[in-house]
Amino acid sequence: MFDALIEGLFLVLQWKAFSLMMVGMGLGFVVGLLPGIGGAATLALMLPFIFKMAPVEAFAFLLGMHSVAATTGDITSILFGVPGEGLSAALVVDGHPMAKRGEAGRALGAALMSSLVGALIGAATLAISIPIVRPLVLTFGSPELFMLSVVGIACITSLSGLGARSQIRGFAMGLFGLLLSAIGQERQSGSLRFDMGMMYLWDGLDLIPVIVGIFAIPEIVDLAVRGTAIAGERPKEDLQRGVLEGIKDTFRHFWLVVRCSAVGVFVGIMPGAGGGVAQWMAYAHAVQSAKDAKEREGFGKGDIRGVLGPGAANNSKEGGDLIPTIAFGVPGSAPMAILLGAFMIMGLIPGPDMLTKHLAVTYSMVWTLVIANIITVILSLAVLNQLAKVTYIRGGLIIPFVLFLVFVGSYTANGQIADLMVTFFFGLLGYFMVLFGWPRPPLVLGFVLGKLIETYLFISVSRYGFSWLTHPIVIVLIVLTGFVIAYPFIQERRQRPGRSADA
Amino acid sequence: MRKGRFLFALFLIAVAAYAVYSASAWRFKAALFPLSVGIPLIILAATQLLLDLFGKAETAGGPAVDLEFTADVSPDVARRRVINIFLWIAGFILMVFLLGFPVAVPLFMLCYLGLQSGAGWWQSIGLTAAAWGFFYGVFQRLVHLQFEDGLLQSWLGL
Repeated sequence: MFDALIEGLFLVLQWKAFSLMMVGMGLGFVVGLLPGIGGAATLALMLPFIFKMAPVEAFAFLLGMHSVAATTGDITSILFGVPGEGLSAALVVDGHPMAKRGEAGRALGAALMSSLVGALIGAATLAISIPIVRPLVLTFGSPELFMLSVVGIACITSLSGLGARSQIRGFAMGLFGLLLSAIGQERQSGSLRFDMGMMYLWDGLDLIPVIVGIFAIPEIVDLAVRGTAIAGERPKEDLQRGVLEGIKDTFRHFWLVVRCSAVGVFVGIMPGAGGGVAQWMAYAHAVQSAKDAKEREGFGKGDIRGVLGPGAANNSKEGGDLIPTIAFGVPGSAPMAILLGAFMIMGLIPGPDMLTKHLAVTYSMVWTLVIANIITVILSLAVLNQLAKVTYIRGGLIIPFVLFLVFVGSYTANGQIADLMVTFFFGLLGYFMVLFGWPRPPLVLGFVLGKLIETYLFISVSRYGFSWLTHPIVIVLIVLTGFVIAYPFIQERRQRPGRSADA
Repeated sequence: MRKGRFLFALFLIAVAAYAVYSASAWRFKAALFPLSVGIPLIILAATQLLLDLFGKAETAGGPAVDLEFTADVSPDVARRRVINIFLWIAGFILMVFLLGFPVAVPLFMLCYLGLQSGAGWWQSIGLTAAAWGFFYGVFQRLVHLQFEDGLLQSWLGL
């Protein structure tokens, strides 16, 4: 095994594989910065180019590109409040307020360093866990996966603020997100639902216009209302110091970064959940880790922990994602499904062969993740000074550029004008939600998870009736959901004596 | 805020009621999920609505972990700017619909920069050229995105 590990490293360091990885990283860097064009779309676009490559070269090229896109997507989220990757929206919540406060350098430094730590943890987990993880994945059937998704939504509703009414609003928005995901053709019976006679809605609402609209438009509106630069009228940040501070923050909150990386790996392993879920769950974990309401107060307004958590999970999930893809041929997400296509093109069959005959190739993927992330972080840190200066440019000059990126990004979903309408509609919805205090994160997670939840629910009910509710893991997850929901109330109750004592 | 929250709850109830009403006519397979989601949504939104109507003012906890709009600008100015930016966004979509992205992007950039942002016309032209170069280089040449023609080009057969 150790020999294969070393062999995998040398395979990646061969000049051709390494050069192709660098080319892939260059593409991933640009694509990651552009809103809407996600890693999955780019992987699909680049698939035809791998036909003449050796397996190690092809995976170095594709994985290099994919892992870099995940990292640089964070940069757009922080600087403009526009999710660079459709699924890196969680970083907007605290990363962008930091940029508005004139701490873009610190936020970027923290995001990049936590991404690196997350990627290393994800890669290490991939390296050591393939033989161990098989029983875990096989234990999770549809009922367990359904409940796991419910736990995810419950975690996010805890971000709605403390108190019963906030929780009600959080849950309502989670359900609203689930309902929106039901638009379009239903998978089991093929019935059309809520299509309002529009062919555009037959495939349901696409993730990109919805997420970009709901997050980016309110930020643009706020920038237009303020009439200043993103960082306001604040004195310019000492960027070198800010970036260094962000890097230090990663190590100040190292245990949180490790835990959020673990969340990312775990979500990555679970089929279907994907990067957005990993980020939001990590974000929820970061918020819930706050000891009291005072510690929690800063979240949503630019708390560094809200950057570190999603940043770490975003890249650690790549390692986790690869585990079921390599070990069982079960892709955990859309990019992994495309990568599975690459396996087929290369004539490799995921499964036991990848753990025996092609173990060196498997380890070359681990090394690609490690090397690509290290290089990306070093290169990004080198150009951060220039990137962060964007936050000091007058808002009026930035707005049209961001707007055109937002709408071109949305247009990539289906290539229809209707994508722009959807973005506009969800932009309006997002604006009113922020204005009236209805939280956006639960809606987004509900929407992301909706189709999966429906499939899992349907299979569970069809196969087990209601007896699936008595499965041991399901019971544990129900209890966990109850605890996650009750936790803010417990926290609130705990504070009361302190409050009265203060008074 | 309270009035807005109330109206939003009303909107949610209306959407969920429509979903439940539509789903009640579907087969079990298609209806299971919308009903399981729509009914609790009505209950939660109605609870929120009733609490806003008859409950005490909300004190517990704190705001949601989410964006908060700036409070540094007077409400009247803020309202005017909000309407203004939404009109610009709608205008951009209309331009794309009529002219297609390749024409709408530079046109919108030039109009916004020149008329709204207060940039000088030379600066506006320079920035527009840069944005168009970026659009053409990245989206058309590198990523090879296909952009639909606008309605006007189709009408005129261009």
